[in-house]
Amino acid sequence: MGYDASFERLPINACFDLKGSESALGEWMGAELLPGFPTEANRCCKADGLSLDHVGPCRWLLQADIDREAELNAALRPHAAPAEASIVRISDTMTTFRVAGADAAHVLAIGCPLDLHDTAFPEDAVSFTEFFGHKALVRRCAGGFDVSVEQSFGDMTEDCLARALR
Amino acid sequence: MQVRRLPSGGRIDRDRPLAFRFNGKGYMGFSGDTLASALLANKVRLTARSFKYHRPRGIMGSGPEEPATLVELEGRHASANRAATTVRLEDGMAARSVNCWPSPGLDLGAVSQLFAGLIPAGFYYKTFKWPGWRLYEPAIRRAAGLAGAPDAPPQDGHFEAVHAHADVLVVGAGPAGLMAALVAGRAGCRVFLADERAEAGGSLLDRRLEIAGGPALDWVAETVAELTSMPNVMHLQDATVWAYREHNFLMVNERSPANPSIQERNWRVRAGHVILATGAIERGLVFPDNDRPGVMLASAAQAYVNRFAVKPGERAVVFANNDSAYAAAANLLASGVDVAAIADSRDAVPGHASDIAGDIPVMAGSVVTGVRGQRSVKGATVSGRDGRGASTIECDMLLHSGGWNPAVHLFSQSRGSLRYDESLATFVPDEAAQACVSVGAAAGELSLASALRTGAEAVARTTGTEMPDLPTATGESYAITPLWRVDAPGAKGRAFLDIQNDVTVDDVHLALREGYDNVEHVKRYTTGGMGFDQGKTGNINIIGTIALQKGVPLQDVGATTFRPPYTPVSFGAIGGIREESVVLPYRHTPVTRWNLDHGAFMYEAGARWRRPGYFPRGDETFQETVNRECRAVREGVGVYDGSPLGKFELKGRDVGRFLDHVYTNLMSTLEPGQCRYGFMLTEDGLILDDGVAMRLGEHRWLVSTSTAHADTVNGHMEELLQTQFPAWNVYVTTVTSQWNNATVCGPKARAVVAALGTDIGLSPEELPFMRFADGHVAGLPARVVRVSFTGELSFEINVAPRHMRELWERIMETGVPFGIEPVGSEASHVLRVEKGFLSLGHEVDGTVDAHDLGMGWIMSRKKADYVGKRSVELRRRSKAVRRELVGLLPVDKKIQIPEGAPLTPGGEKRPSEGLVTACVWSVVLNRWVALALLENGKSRHGETVHVRLKDATIAADVMEPVFYDPDGRKMRS
Repeated sequence: MGYDASFERLPINACFDLKGSESALGEWMGAELLPGFPTEANRCCKADGLSLDHVGPCRWLLQADIDREAELNAALRPHAAPAEASIVRISDTMTTFRVAGADAAHVLAIGCPLDLHDTAFPEDAVSFTEFFGHKALVRRCAGGFDVSVEQSFGDMTEDCLARALR
Repeated sequence: MQVRRLPSGGRIDRDRPLAFRFNGKGYMGFSGDTLASALLANKVRLTARSFKYHRPRGIMGSGPEEPATLVELEGRHASANRAATTVRLEDGMAARSVNCWPSPGLDLGAVSQLFAGLIPAGFYYKTFKWPGWRLYEPAIRRAAGLAGAPDAPPQDGHFEAVHAHADVLVVGAGPAGLMAALVAGRAGCRVFLADERAEAGGSLLDRRLEIAGGPALDWVAETVAELTSMPNVMHLQDATVWAYREHNFLMVNERSPANPSIQERNWRVRAGHVILATGAIERGLVFPDNDRPGVMLASAAQAYVNRFAVKPGERAVVFANNDSAYAAAANLLASGVDVAAIADSRDAVPGHASDIAGDIPVMAGSVVTGVRGQRSVKGATVSGRDGRGASTIECDMLLHSGGWNPAVHLFSQSRGSLRYDESLATFVPDEAAQACVSVGAAAGELSLASALRTGAEAVARTTGTEMPDLPTATGESYAITPLWRVDAPGAKGRAFLDIQNDVTVDDVHLALREGYDNVEHVKRYTTGGMGFDQGKTGNINIIGTIALQKGVPLQDVGATTFRPPYTPVSFGAIGGIREESVVLPYRHTPVTRWNLDHGAFMYEAGARWRRPGYFPRGDETFQETVNRECRAVREGVGVYDGSPLGKFELKGRDVGRFLDHVYTNLMSTLEPGQCRYGFMLTEDGLILDDGVAMRLGEHRWLVSTSTAHADTVNGHMEELLQTQFPAWNVYVTTVTSQWNNATVCGPKARAVVAALGTDIGLSPEELPFMRFADGHVAGLPARVVRVSFTGELSFEINVAPRHMRELWERIMETGVPFGIEPVGSEASHVLRVEKGFLSLGHEVDGTVDAHDLGMGWIMSRKKADYVGKRSVELRRRSKAVRRELVGLLPVDKKIQIPEGAPLTPGGEKRPSEGLVTACVWSVVLNRWVALALLENGKSRHGETVHVRLKDATIAADVMEPVFYDPDGRKMRS
């Protein structure tokens, strides 16, 4: 008997790494593009299919479905952004696994040292942490968690998850 | 036949009989038994042989303190060196004693007792020295030892390690721990309660006490039920907290997880507060032959009759220096054991203790001076402390109690300090170093009422809640007069301090005489306290013996440091799921599957990337394969997957000057579209990495690093930016996995890329060497870079990973008419050696600088400063002899030189003057060629040097370190 949980590898998202001050980024991209900057670190703001994740000092990830990548790239104009705003498309850099089910939190805890209790990691939380020893981005999803690892570790993470679910 | 099983009582399930085997013989026990209790129920008394002297041993304890009976479990749950008292009996279990052959009853190793006098503590420091210790060591290790690790993984199930977090971690589910968990749970805290026994209750399981006017175990059941109903409480039994690390990070080994596919689970718990309700452990008394089968801790005997409904013997003598043994004696008497006498070393026995003893004869001021019987106790010699009035009392069981030691192991591991308590004659927790508090017996509060009170108080203080109403509890009192050893005249025989490691009083005396008078030195010299049991029953007796011998108080002797694990833990539980294919991390590129499907021999090639070493065909040998791949690149075209190279996009106004600071050469002068090869140095002037910087735009750059050092370079850049240049406008983004690349190389590379279809001009004029261009290749968005690692015309086609597999397959398909071959790391290595390109880990070995490699041109003289510049200049100013890169041609061109082989003058046994860094079969020269680091190498071209091997020397001619296309025309073509 294994755990009451399952996982699947998700298609890649459109993802842009944003660095710089809120004002520099906001000024370049325009307030109407972004869903708004989260007021706290390791929180995300979502609107219109976009998610803006505050993942570090002066660092955000802007994510959307992959079919919006070209649209966002055109709007963000990474190559033309001013020196104060770093915008880098990184859609391919991470592989995301969705772990869902009643035991999803336990399965996550096998690989992740972060406190994922809902009092410590609420609905809008998003954070870089570790997953099976590798850098990973964790967020909540319906019925579980989405964990993104560096793409090259995708196969190993899948291997680990399959073992964890036994 | 369980002849010693009581007809009723105990915490066993008589409806669930379990069959098991011990040392090849079949027995029966019940669910709820430990292996030890089941053996005692079956009247198995001789269960082990001792570590060093192979003395007969029996079961002495009832829990993790057990020092004598270690067993090896066989079959389904194979594991080694388990204390029989902590092994839960299972149907079909098979176990055998460790360190005896063929059996504990007939142990050939017992011959060592004949020359025991020759092997005292530390004998291996003084004897068996001629002709050499190694001659004797294997036999000695075999003779004195424990069981080996199982030779195969568990037959079913697996291990798991998992993280957890708690506001309050309570260690121990005895009365203090349960009360603490209850208060914390009711306060809404996230509680993690872990207890090492199979069921909650702690010492209440072993004794007959009352809480709230009823049996204490009724209160335990009610409390456990309430805790179970709380969603904020995690309650684990059969789970030992075995390590207390920094920042309230503790390890819990759960041995019976609910998920039956898991053998053991290791919890890594980060706790806000830790309540240490670890109880106390009874210590033994030190008297001659205190290790005979049948000699048992009084509390253990009490546990066997009360918890397991087993009489450990028929007739007992109790030897004590404190009150607690009286209750044990009374319980045994009530269970039908004939308690012949209580020998109490105290001159006056407190009234309440005498009252408990009832009709049992109490011999105050008496000590046990000897034990009759070798394989089983047959009698005890009791005399006054002065040795007078000695008499032997027939018995089959000698129960002893030297007092109680708070289980301070975890508190000590947390770096809390200990102090000696005179009234308890033991060490108790003093100053805490982390957010933890000891409660109940673990804090020296030995009564049931104070255990309940301190458990509640600790949590109430921590959580800021009010103290709950406490239930009433059985009144107990405890008094002790320490007795560190029996030294009455007439007491003869070995008196053991550390039963598990066979450390005697004489051993400690010897250590002291030889100058090892610090308790830590005594520990190491004698190995006292260093066994599996961590000296749980004997440590303080060693301290007491030292104090007596030196004539100082125990506080001045001090305690040794307790270290994890508190009890043995399976390596599997620590590793968790990290076994087999995931023991080590591995990384794949989108082409990995293709490589495997095409028969590539894969291995790790830096930074955990699994890369193809070579692509063998048919019956090709390794060398034939590599030669074929090399020839494809030199004569036609090859392609390799260069995706693992580290890549970072840098953005900002100050990137140019930042790169000038981290690279040895000038980068800020690059124009958009240009690349430049460069070195990064460490602060001490050694080569950190070599790579290529590309300018993408006015403020955008891309830095490409070696595969192995990508993370190091990333850390290096971030450290500089965060510590030295926080005001500089530079942002670093890792894009290693945003860009994969297929590098097409060889004279036909341009034709293949053109055939793929591209909107990028490929001519040398449009895209010269060290330039790049963005566009499309094979209809895919791509960046093509003109760099070369092979010395050939090369096009590095970079695409997003989502396109990499398609690009790769298109290249292989399009390249067929050109004879394209996939190229592995082995061929790449040959090609770069032929060209004299350096490799980190080969030529860059942590000692050389750019000048040594003949690359002084890369050390800019225009820049005022860069990382490592000053260190290189200072080092070279000393004019010391340097090892410099050279090429070597073995005089016999068919002889391969092993990589790493030393060069010595004339090949003689003299100090090395260099080493061979790489040696490959060159397909262009049709011979072996090598690179080497040689003292003053640059000035020795034309000389013949010698490689010194174990049984041969190889002569080789020194030359320039480049064997192919020295002026680089081909790669620039």
